[in-house]
Amino acid sequence: MAKFRKEGEKEAKADMTPMIDCVFLLIIFFLCIDFKTLEAKLPAYLPKDRGSQTTEAEPIEQLSVKIVCEEFGQEVARRASIGPLRSRNNVKMVGHRVYWLVGPKKVEEMTELMDALKEIAEDPRRRVPDKDTGGTKVMPVVIEPYPQTTYGDVAGTVDAVRAAGFQEINFGGGMGTQQRSVGR
Amino acid sequence: MSNLKDEAEREAEMDMTPMIDCVFLLMIFFVLVIDLSQRDLEDLILPVAKYAVPDENPPDVRPIVNIAQDGRMVYKQNTWYDPARDGDNTEGIRRLLIEWKGTVVKDKDVENLGGRQVTVVNDPVLIRADKWTEWHYVGVFMTACSQPEAAFWKLELALSEDDKERKLYPN
Repeated sequence: MAKFRKEGEKEAKADMTPMIDCVFLLIIFFLCIDFKTLEAKLPAYLPKDRGSQTTEAEPIEQLSVKIVCEEFGQEVARRASIGPLRSRNNVKMVGHRVYWLVGPKKVEEMTELMDALKEIAEDPRRRVPDKDTGGTKVMPVVIEPYPQTTYGDVAGTVDAVRAAGFQEINFGGGMGTQQRSVGR
Repeated sequence: MSNLKDEAEREAEMDMTPMIDCVFLLMIFFVLVIDLSQRDLEDLILPVAKYAVPDENPPDVRPIVNIAQDGRMVYKQNTWYDPARDGDNTEGIRRLLIEWKGTVVKDKDVENLGGRQVTVVNDPVLIRADKWTEWHYVGVFMTACSQPEAAFWKLELALSEDDKERKLYPN
């Protein structure tokens, strides 16, 4: 009788080792995996009526922010084993420089740009009438990227414009659709 | 003697059930979570955001375009426009926008723009491009968006909160 009970007890014991192995594997997996989650986004707008406007448009007062590429820089490889191929998203720019024209004012550093934008956003004389509320609002901004500017330059500028307090950000044609010939 | 041998054999047996359970859970996890959530997002290095809004609770289906460094425009792992192949022919982008307009977006209004009835899309298009993608290609996509046939006017530019380029490729 006692022998049967002993055997029964032995069978009830579960071997936890494989489960612990798996749990550790899971932990390692979670630590190592690079989740490609999107972390942030910036809203912007395109003109609604491009290409179909037949009536006379009302002039709108807006702040023009031009992004001009001063130095395109040198393409180097992100992963050294592959080489600098744009088709594999393996290019990193070294020495890439841009400057901005905030209205007529030239600024060369991001901090300077922030200061210039804040100054305009906070200036009550630069506010424009708001048709929806009947009051006034911060003037819209039109961003005009010039040739050889990159997505990073423009996204960074939009980020700064929003941080300065501008709500309405539009994209102007500018000259950004001129392509620079680059190797693939 | 034979009793002792039986017990020794029994002890040597390994219970595989928990491991099989875990392996199945892992498989389910891989199949459902990783694949479905990442299909829209290409492996790009986004520029760093300092002040952007976090992308919390994104909808399951939304228009997302991934623009690679060479200008390829990818949606759900399909290339809709490749400058090397298509050149100035942006028909692929037009087809993508029309498909989104028909099946993906929910908020649309018919508006009179310049004396013409246009179905304007109020849902934003999320643009994901590599930090070093030339703006030219984003401009090509935006031009297609602003055509009356597509009429997407709200955009969102994707950014990253940490500098992945510096983290992954410091040299």
